[in-house]
Amino acid sequence: MTDDVSRNERIKEASDYLRGTLAEGLREEITGGIVEDDQQLVKFHGMYLQDDRDLRPERTRKKMEKAFAFMIRVRIPGGVLTPQQWLALDEVSRVYGNGTMRLTTRQTVQLHGVIKSNLKATLKAIDTVLLNSIAACGDINRNVMCNVLPEQSRAHAAAIELARSVSDHLLPHTPAYREIWLDGERIAGGEGEVVEPIYGKTYLPRKFKVVVAVPPSNDVDVFAHDLGYIAIADGAANIIGWNVTVGGGMGMTHGELDTYPRTADVMGFCKTADAVKIAEAVVTVQRDWGDRKSRKHARLKYTIEDRGLDAFRAEVERRAGVKLAPPKPFAFTSTGDRYGWSEGSDGRSHLTLFVQNGRVHDVGGVAQQTALRTIAQMHDGEFRITANQNLVIANVPTSQQAEIERIMREADLLAPWSGLRRNSMACVALPTCGLALAESERYLPDLLTALDEQLAAHGLSADDIVIRMTGCPNGCARPYLAEIGLVGKGPGRYNLYLGAAFDGSRMNKLYAEDLDHAGIVAALEPVFAAYAGGRQKGERFGDFAIRAGFVAASGNGRDFHDNTGDKRAVQ
Amino acid sequence: MEMSPIPKTAPFAEEEIDLLNRVVGPASANQRAWLAGFLAGLDAAGAGAVAPQPAAPARPAEPLTIVYASESGNSEKLAGDLAKSARKNGLKPTIIDMADLDLSALTTAKRLVFIAATWGEGEPPARATRVYNELMGDGAPRLEGVEFGVLALGDTAYAEFCAIGKKIDERLAALGGKRIVDRVDCDLDFAEPAGRWIGDAVKALAPPNAGGRVIEVDFGAKPAPALNTDVVEAEIIEYVDLNSSRSDKETIHLALSFEGGAPAYEPGDSLDLYPENDPAYVDDLLKAAGLSGDEKLRAEFIKSRDVTTLSLKTVEIYASSTGHQYVKTLLDEGQAKEWIGGRQLIDLIATFPIALDAEKLRALTRPLAPRAYSIASSRREVGDEAHLLISAVRYESHGRARKGVASSYVAERLKRGDRVRVKVKPNKHFALPAPDKDIIMVGPGTGVAPFRAFVQERRATEATGRSWLFFGDRHFTHDFLYQLDWQDALKDGALTRMDVAFSRDTPEKIYVQHKLWDRRAELIEWLDGGALFYVCGDAKAMAKDVRAALVRAYADVKALSPEAAEQAVVTLEREKRYLQDTY
Repeated sequence: MTDDVSRNERIKEASDYLRGTLAEGLREEITGGIVEDDQQLVKFHGMYLQDDRDLRPERTRKKMEKAFAFMIRVRIPGGVLTPQQWLALDEVSRVYGNGTMRLTTRQTVQLHGVIKSNLKATLKAIDTVLLNSIAACGDINRNVMCNVLPEQSRAHAAAIELARSVSDHLLPHTPAYREIWLDGERIAGGEGEVVEPIYGKTYLPRKFKVVVAVPPSNDVDVFAHDLGYIAIADGAANIIGWNVTVGGGMGMTHGELDTYPRTADVMGFCKTADAVKIAEAVVTVQRDWGDRKSRKHARLKYTIEDRGLDAFRAEVERRAGVKLAPPKPFAFTSTGDRYGWSEGSDGRSHLTLFVQNGRVHDVGGVAQQTALRTIAQMHDGEFRITANQNLVIANVPTSQQAEIERIMREADLLAPWSGLRRNSMACVALPTCGLALAESERYLPDLLTALDEQLAAHGLSADDIVIRMTGCPNGCARPYLAEIGLVGKGPGRYNLYLGAAFDGSRMNKLYAEDLDHAGIVAALEPVFAAYAGGRQKGERFGDFAIRAGFVAASGNGRDFHDNTGDKRAVQ
Repeated sequence: MEMSPIPKTAPFAEEEIDLLNRVVGPASANQRAWLAGFLAGLDAAGAGAVAPQPAAPARPAEPLTIVYASESGNSEKLAGDLAKSARKNGLKPTIIDMADLDLSALTTAKRLVFIAATWGEGEPPARATRVYNELMGDGAPRLEGVEFGVLALGDTAYAEFCAIGKKIDERLAALGGKRIVDRVDCDLDFAEPAGRWIGDAVKALAPPNAGGRVIEVDFGAKPAPALNTDVVEAEIIEYVDLNSSRSDKETIHLALSFEGGAPAYEPGDSLDLYPENDPAYVDDLLKAAGLSGDEKLRAEFIKSRDVTTLSLKTVEIYASSTGHQYVKTLLDEGQAKEWIGGRQLIDLIATFPIALDAEKLRALTRPLAPRAYSIASSRREVGDEAHLLISAVRYESHGRARKGVASSYVAERLKRGDRVRVKVKPNKHFALPAPDKDIIMVGPGTGVAPFRAFVQERRATEATGRSWLFFGDRHFTHDFLYQLDWQDALKDGALTRMDVAFSRDTPEKIYVQHKLWDRRAELIEWLDGGALFYVCGDAKAMAKDVRAALVRAYADVKALSPEAAEQAVVTLEREKRYLQDTY
């Protein structure tokens, strides 16, 4: 390894396959934290060391270290949980966490506020229902997402099978998780044994995300991830194979124009039997070709920009021993969820709930967590977490429909939200996320209330408009694919992006910088007014913003920072 | 301190050497001198002579054994007053801490005085518990021919007023002793009745040939107090609630600064803090008594009277001074004792209102006593400061919000820059050992205060002994008192190791005693190596649980019977290696 690799590469290499000194750090009772190198390694085990940033100002004065606690991100391929698994997560969130469950934009559950001394007990409790947090974060393949498909049971079965196969195949092999968190025996590797046949000692240069989409729904935002599969069906709705997408990713850094979000390219078409081989090949090419010097330039999207899609495809085909066919035609309609009841092709019913920002809790007299616990206790179908931080109660027999609907309605999970709110997402941000520059989850509901008033005045309350907010430019809530994107710049300040496609195929473009609350409201007012007065039939808000000249259209990424402000293209 | 003064080579059997060491080892210089004189006299009188005849004094003085059982130091101080007065009146007093008393020695004590405090709900002072139980037990020696008197200290605010003094008094008589001065039970304002009793006792105990002399007692005219026990003013230069804003607890760290230097305190000592009452409470009380508007009385009550305590005595005074019929009935029917539980003076007056004047109301109150807090700093580290750690006491009973007088004075009415009145209260029974000794400290909650002083002192003196702290509270994140200090101490070596127990972070509550149990092997190893074991904090549950855990640890680690394990801890107590400061 050369001298100029990033610090994280050295940490990984020296970690003895992700062990580091985590076991020793857990025994250190006097601090709630762990040492710096272990903070990087613990991500591979699905955890982040965080601290309650609301409490930071008082801690030193009170002679206390930062209010450290861990976020645990569970690995849930396709977001599908049994009621027993839901109950287990619900319980640990209340016993060891901060009393809330957070459904994420990547179909998992995050537990927040777990202090170090409770980590093992929490992970052991999760393990009893066959869940874990292995590789939920870190430079490795993370949770594999899958369309929730409430109305296409057959397609869902095929999609979730692929998601699980890819997830299993790309799991790390190191026994470190079991050793450290579950008190498993240290398993000594045999002489010369290859511990990580896919990843090697240093895993991937950066995070790696895989999704499976089934048109016409693009709820997983297939273009926002490193590797994607788009189901291609025949006339009889049988899935015949998959279009493979590569090189999507949301993260960027404010003020650094060589960092940018990027939508994925459609690389080709493969048969189901070859899909896992393709996944492994994409991962190993990125492992070997990806940039290990600059973490800001290490995602697959930059590898593809630097090497070109053709070269990348050729190498993947070579390694997989599979020749990709040209992509098949497909069409997406939206990235949102379809709320309410839907009936699957097998006669079972599914209820999609709106969970504001994915936060499941009992607060302000609304007992959503309690209500969902009640459902989990009576229900023997599935819980499916959607890519929009919502929840599907899946496979409900007819006999339980009325009762489940009553409980969910009482808990405000079926309330008639505005078109803007039901298409909203926010990342966690403050107070737990260490990267947040501004509020997100705690602020978006209030902003929506203000915007809803404006929309109502323009008669737009019922229109579906996608709005997403993040507290920093890393893009966990995929803000660059929202018709209205808001990205935190500093305390109370946001950059406003407009013009993304409603179906998730085109990114937005910077419209105004450094806006405070009043600034956001004032900036959007004329756009809403123009849209209400000037839209064409069926024209989406994002498309209108471009046609009306508020912003230029974004390409797939490299041009993301072009044509903004004074250089805005006027049509 | 040298624990084994009698060498193994002494012409005694091994058990006898042990026995002698147990007596002579912890004996004070005074006691050793007496023993030397006594043995010399014994020899001079020849075999068979029983009467101890100390050789030294020209005019032989009659011996007087003064035993005190002290928690806060009052009994100990009175023992000193009595000894002084006794000496002037032809007696040769020996003062013995009940914690160190060998009961068999009492059989030869011709004259015996016990000064015994009652603690909490009718319990002996922690240090005296072991010997007290021996005295009450079947194995206690007969005391025929021993003349005795008992002075009892207590607090009428507690139901079992002076219970320990009463029981010792009865027990000494039952063992055959002859009571030659009647017991007196003293309340918090003990100075005057205790002084009078000392006078009576000395008169009764003094040898007849001392007759004609005026019995002198010094209680009234105090000599100028030593500098370090003066009441002094201090300025609050740091005021921090150490609990996080998310905690349901409030524990105030106070840094006090003294003009012209901090009083001479040592690690383990306490500061008596002179509080003031909550003006709102006093207003409520005056209103209930129909005395609102009496500004003079209000000011007096806020500053100097205990206006919250409700004792049986208060109820009796109320009944007799007002003639309130219901209150009389309450007393006559024996319900008063139960009624006062969890209630305060204001409840009595509000529940049984009757016209009161200032004089009658004042008579229901006692002087406002200071509250002692363990000092949380070492002068060698903080210079002219003293630090206190004060937990706000708040609870509800009988539909009223209640507050600790001193703690709410600090938590609610003081701020940085304010001045408070304090006095050093030495605690020589809770001091650091020689710097090369290992120490184990168990201090959950505010019990950790003296150990901050210990650790600071050991850092400043570059002590070589190891130190091990057990701390506990509710939540790691919100209640870890002085966390950064301990982290620093572990880094610089002033603290060797630390174990923590946070009770509300897990479904099953974990307390310091559980941590002691978890670490039992190393704990016993440290103790076998001569470590001292300190416990500070809650007396009701924690101190007992900790002791029980240590007994179980001995039983488990050394495969001892429960009795033998208990004996191992008793030995630690005897050797003054198990030390408590509990409240």
